[in-house]
Amino acid sequence: MVEQWVDLLLQNQNQDGGWGIVPGKHSHTEASAFALLALNSMKSPVLEQAVNKGLQWLGQQQNADGSWPLSSQVRETSWSTALAVLALTSFPPFYQHALQGAQWLLQQKGQTPGWRESLRYRWAPQTLPIQLNPHLEGWSWVPNSFSWVEPTSYALIALKKLRFSLPGSIVTERIRQGELLVYDRMCEEGGWNYGNPRVLGEKLPPYPDITAIALIALQEHMAVDANQLSLQALCQMLRQVRSGLTLGWSVLCFSLYGQNAAEYKAKITDSYVRTHFLNETKSIALAVLAFQDGSGAFRV
Amino acid sequence: MFTRRQFVAGSLATVMTPLLKGCSQPQSEPPRWEQGAYRKSEQSKVAILKATSYDNSLKDIILRAINLFPLDIKGKTIILKPNLVEYDPAGVINTHPAVIAATIDALRSLDAREVIVAEGPGHRRDNEYLLTASGLHAVLQEYRAQYVDLDNDDAQAIPVNSYFTGFPRFYFPETVLKADLLVSLPKLKTHHWAGVTLSMKNLFGLIPSAIYGWPKNILHWAGIPNSIVDINSALSIPRFAIIDGIVGMEGNGPIQGQAKHCGVLIFGDDFAAVDATATRIMTLDPRKVDYLVFADRFFGNILEENVLQLGERIETVRQDFTVIPSFRHLKSIVS
Repeated sequence: MVEQWVDLLLQNQNQDGGWGIVPGKHSHTEASAFALLALNSMKSPVLEQAVNKGLQWLGQQQNADGSWPLSSQVRETSWSTALAVLALTSFPPFYQHALQGAQWLLQQKGQTPGWRESLRYRWAPQTLPIQLNPHLEGWSWVPNSFSWVEPTSYALIALKKLRFSLPGSIVTERIRQGELLVYDRMCEEGGWNYGNPRVLGEKLPPYPDITAIALIALQEHMAVDANQLSLQALCQMLRQVRSGLTLGWSVLCFSLYGQNAAEYKAKITDSYVRTHFLNETKSIALAVLAFQDGSGAFRV
Repeated sequence: MFTRRQFVAGSLATVMTPLLKGCSQPQSEPPRWEQGAYRKSEQSKVAILKATSYDNSLKDIILRAINLFPLDIKGKTIILKPNLVEYDPAGVINTHPAVIAATIDALRSLDAREVIVAEGPGHRRDNEYLLTASGLHAVLQEYRAQYVDLDNDDAQAIPVNSYFTGFPRFYFPETVLKADLLVSLPKLKTHHWAGVTLSMKNLFGLIPSAIYGWPKNILHWAGIPNSIVDINSALSIPRFAIIDGIVGMEGNGPIQGQAKHCGVLIFGDDFAAVDATATRIMTLDPRKVDYLVFADRFFGNILEENVLQLGERIETVRQDFTVIPSFRHLKSIVS
């Protein structure tokens, strides 16, 4: 099955060297980052040409300030910078690109909502419809807006991989704040959704894909109660969810946490037979990474 | 797209979550829309047809309704935009797959060239899960219909023609921009930030989350009613609405509310008028829903005297939908 997925990635590579979210779409930073990691995990010289073409595309997309745009079509600076950085750390000739991207990430801060909300959070949190710590700064989807779990997790993984090449005190503090933010957004029974554990007093459920991503970002703290609770929550959620995307992330997470993920690999194959992962490049790439034990690309 | 100044202004003006911004503006203020954005007609038509369950009769009901409107379907590429924001096996969050299936079937029987189902889920990124769990994937397979993830579609920036959010433009998915007709297929639901979520609010799902984030929080910060109006106004393609009101949601919608059987489908080509009628069916006052009031100023009709009601009368199908305390004021009339 892995060979079939790799063939799909090769077939779906755009002429410019990048990958679209699905075949036929403009090359997309996120999809290309995952496709490159997947092909690289095969460690096959046969794939070298495709990988080099993909790397050239990704390298050329980088903006002068170090960031990446969302795609070859939508040029505004984007959260997908963290994924480009993460991918390029696996390719030594592109290390400087990754480093420049990481420096851009260090300059980005999710915005806090203002003094009124800070005061309310401190003195009367029960009056807030959403009780998130407004003082924590992570990373946002859109520059100059609120922080959320997924972009913060991507930035954390990318920065942790490059932390020893970045200004020590700054990167340490940003990582500390980002981790605090992710923990602050955790659902009460463990796990994460996009970033709201409660709204209007009602608990919101975690999502398995985001839970796996957040756990990967917090992998150095695997013995912490919150991580263990979330790991259990992930296993619980996987009884219901059988999609390539979620299972791919989960296998990578379990691998990093030293857990056996064999049963989930089998489910990835079942999922592909059922849906072809909706032809989504990222899901195909995550499936390859799951089967090739590509978790090293996410190890910090 | 979104400047620091806009964000800070938003943060000072609102709490951590969206709050409704005032809908009235002093007459001395400049108009908040361009002349070309004005498309309000003297009268709009809305049809309410009974549909007691999600059974095989839905296609015929939809065909009967479409015949009441001057809709040109033959040879057209049509986007069906259901509500698929999230999935909860115990909930009624999404447009029922049977309604989507019946709409595909009905439009194809009228010789539509292509019917594409498209959505940009606001919370979840796992499309495969959402589609399979919700039952939509089975429908797509049965009807061999294409699905497009609008959150990640190729996108183009379109200038706004109204100025409620202050955004100069919105990115819209190319799949939508290239279509001949957009059919909004929402669920009849209350909404804990906007009061109600119907065919106009459903267009939030057109806005690509890859650009605006999951959830599309930028739109919340700009004011949900403001965003609804600017998005609906900016999009110029012909449109039609079919609201799944067979089983709606009351209380803490759009995710955590309770199922409410209402037994209707609601149709029309003026989204504001359709949503106003749907709101009345929920025993809520559309004249107190901010974005409907905004829409009534320049691109739709929400007053009963300006809406020609076809099919069932509102009084015969009305259900008493509960709302959360912050929207109790919506319950205080119903003319």
